[in-house]
Amino acid sequence: MELSRQRRFVTPAPEETIEDLAARALPDQPLQAAVDSIKSWNLHVFAMRRPPGLMLGSDVIFVEPPLAHG
Amino acid sequence: MGEDALEEAVIVGADIVAGHDGTAELVVRLLHPDGSEHPVLLDEDTGLKLMEACGASGLEDLYGQSWRRILPQA
Amino acid sequence: MREMAMFDVIVRGGTVVDGTGAPGFAGDVAVKDGRIAAVGQVSGEAKRVVDAQGRVVAPGFIDPHTHFDVQLLWDGAARPALEHGVTCVVPGNCSLSLAPLKASDRKAVVGMFQQIEEMPPEAFTTAFEWTWEDFAGYRSALEKGLSINVAPLVGHSVIRLWVMGPASQERAAFPDEIAAMQALLRECLEAGAVGLSTSFVDLDEHGRPVPSRYAQFEELDALCAVLGEFGRMLQVVPEFYATDITIARIDQLADLSIRHDIPTTFSPLFDTLAVPDNAERAIARVEEQFARGARVWPQMQTRPIDISFSLLRPSLFFARLPRWVRILRQPLEQRVAALNDPDTRAKMLADLGSDGGEAMFGRLVARGGDACPPEYVGKTLSEIAGLRGQPAGLALIELSLENGLDVAFLSAGQGHQSTDRIGPMLAHPLVHIGASDGGAHLASFSTYGDTGYLFSEFVRKAGAMSLEKAVAKITSETADIWGLKDRGRLATGQCADIVVFDPDAIARGDELPAFDMPGDGMRYVRAARGVDTVLVNGEVAYAAGAYTDSRSGVVCV
Repeated sequence: MELSRQRRFVTPAPEETIEDLAARALPDQPLQAAVDSIKSWNLHVFAMRRPPGLMLGSDVIFVEPPLAHG
Repeated sequence: MGEDALEEAVIVGADIVAGHDGTAELVVRLLHPDGSEHPVLLDEDTGLKLMEACGASGLEDLYGQSWRRILPQA
Repeated sequence: MREMAMFDVIVRGGTVVDGTGAPGFAGDVAVKDGRIAAVGQVSGEAKRVVDAQGRVVAPGFIDPHTHFDVQLLWDGAARPALEHGVTCVVPGNCSLSLAPLKASDRKAVVGMFQQIEEMPPEAFTTAFEWTWEDFAGYRSALEKGLSINVAPLVGHSVIRLWVMGPASQERAAFPDEIAAMQALLRECLEAGAVGLSTSFVDLDEHGRPVPSRYAQFEELDALCAVLGEFGRMLQVVPEFYATDITIARIDQLADLSIRHDIPTTFSPLFDTLAVPDNAERAIARVEEQFARGARVWPQMQTRPIDISFSLLRPSLFFARLPRWVRILRQPLEQRVAALNDPDTRAKMLADLGSDGGEAMFGRLVARGGDACPPEYVGKTLSEIAGLRGQPAGLALIELSLENGLDVAFLSAGQGHQSTDRIGPMLAHPLVHIGASDGGAHLASFSTYGDTGYLFSEFVRKAGAMSLEKAVAKITSETADIWGLKDRGRLATGQCADIVVFDPDAIARGDELPAFDMPGDGMRYVRAARGVDTVLVNGEVAYAAGAYTDSRSGVVCV
C-alpha cells in the first residue's frame, strides 16, 4: 500500500548546527533565508528549547512548509 | 489577511488549550508566505512571554505579528 | 457417588462479560490455584463465594500508561487504581524507570521523577529501602508486596544514563556505547521488562531535555533490534497537539515496527477543538501504517483535561481579559498591591460584565489541598460567591488575597472534552484506550478512574460503544497489544484477574485532595464508584469498599 504524502522532515546529525542543517536541507536557498525558513517551520524546537537554538538528535525538523489538508 | 503577498509567516489565530499537565497553553496559527498554515503549541511560559513581547493584552493583539516574535528574545 | 468439585472462589450469578467483546451471559466464574477453572453454570463448592447478582463479572482492567514505579514500593495496590478494577498496571513510561540505575545516579533520576510525578522527596528517602541497581533487583523489591499485577517498562533515559553518565544529556552515543545499551536492555528484558519507553518531550527538574532525547534515530533503531529479539513493546511520548510532528513520529514508529517486528505505541493522542483535525489525521495515518504491516497503537485517554491555576502565578487562563493579564503578570508584591487597590479592582470587575463574573468564573471549582478554607473546598465559585454574598469575580480576588493567593481553581473540561468527537475515536479498532498517566502529576490533577469514566460517559451516557466492547478495549485488546500472556479474558486456564461491578453505577468519584503520600504529601485522587470486588490472580484484593491483606500480584509479561 502506498502511503499518502506527508510533510518531509530530517533529524539533526550529531553536532550539526542550524546553519549546517539548513544548507543540507535547502541547498538552493541563500543561507540566511534557509535558516529562517527552517526556524519558522519548526517553532516546536526553536520557540521553547533551552538553551535557545539547541537541536537534539531525536528532533523532527521539517524541511518544507505545511501541506494543504482537507 | 489582505491579498498582498506575505514576506514572512505571521500569526493569524490564537487560542487557549488545556495542556497535558493542566496548565493553560497557547496555540497560535501561523500563515506562511506560500499560503500554508499550521498550529504551534506554546507552553504557558512561552505564551506569556510572546504576549509580553507583542505588548498584547488579549489574544487578538497577536494577530498579524511576525513568527519571529515567538523566538526567545535575546 | 461423584465427588463435588472444590474451588477456591466462585463468582456466582453475575452477567459474565468475558473480555472478548462477545455478548454478556448469565453465569458463574470458578477459580482454582490462581487460574480460572470454569466459566458458565458452575456446580461445586468453593472456600469463598462472591455473590454477583445484578453485577457484571469481567476480566480485570489493564492500565498501559502509568508512573507507579515508586509508589508500588510502599503501596503494592497502586491505590486507588485497584479499587477502580485495574488489576495490571504498566509503569516505566516516558523513558523513566527506577532500574537499571547506579546508586550514584539516583539523585538525577529522582529529580526527573519529581518533575513528572510531583512526588514529594520523602517518597524516595523514607518510604522504601533502595537495595537494587539492576532491573532484576528492582523486580525483586517490587515482588515483596504486590497486590496488583505489574508489567514494567524499562526507560531509555536510565539505560542511557547508566552507560553514558552525564554525557547522556550532552551528546549522541558512540557505537560502543550503543552496543552497551543494547546489552543492558537485553538484560532488562530477560529480567522481566515488558518493553522499552522513550520520550521526545520530557524535561528534567532543571528544564533540560531528558537523556533519551539526545539519542539519534540510529540508537533507537539499535535498541529496537533488541526488542525484536523478544517481540516486545516500544512506547514513546510524542509532541502534543502538533499533528505534522505526530505523523512524523507515527512514520518513525512504523519503520521500527516493520523492521524489527515489534509493537509500538505512542501516548497520549489528544483531541482538541483548537486543532480540530489533530486526532483525526493521526488516526488516518495509523490506518495507513497498519495496512502496510506496521503496529503503531495510539493511546487515547478517556478523561477530559482540566485547566488549573491560582493567582500565585500568571496564567494564560486570563488571556481574554487584557487588564487581568497585565495585573497578574506583575511581580508578586505589585500584583497583591494592585488586587488590593480599590480603583484597580473596580476596573477589573467592570471587565467581567454586568453579572460580576458569574458567566466567566462561576463554574470554577476551589480544589483544596492548598490554603483554601475547608468550607469552600469542592464548591464552585458561584456557590462560594453566594456564601460570601459577593459577585464571583470579587470572591475570586478576595478569597485569593485572604489566603496568600494560594487557592487553586479548576476549570473543567478545557481540552479533550468533546464526548461526541472522542467516543467514536475510542471505539476505533486501532485506538488503544490508555494514557491515564496513573501515579503522575500528583499535585496537579487526579489520574485515577479513567476506566469508570469510560463506562459512565461513553457507554451509559453517550452510547459510543457497548459495555462488552468497552470491557474488551481495556482487557483482551490491551493484553494482546502488549503480549501479556493469559491475561485479559475470562476463560478456562487464564489468570484469575476479575472485577465485579454494577454496570449502572460504575464511575469515577469526585476529584479530592488527599494527604496520603510519604511525608504527608498531597495528591488529587478519585475514589471508585460501582466496583464491588476485585480479584488478582484468584485472591480477593478489594471487596465491599476495602482493600484486603492479599499480596497476590506478580510481575507479569
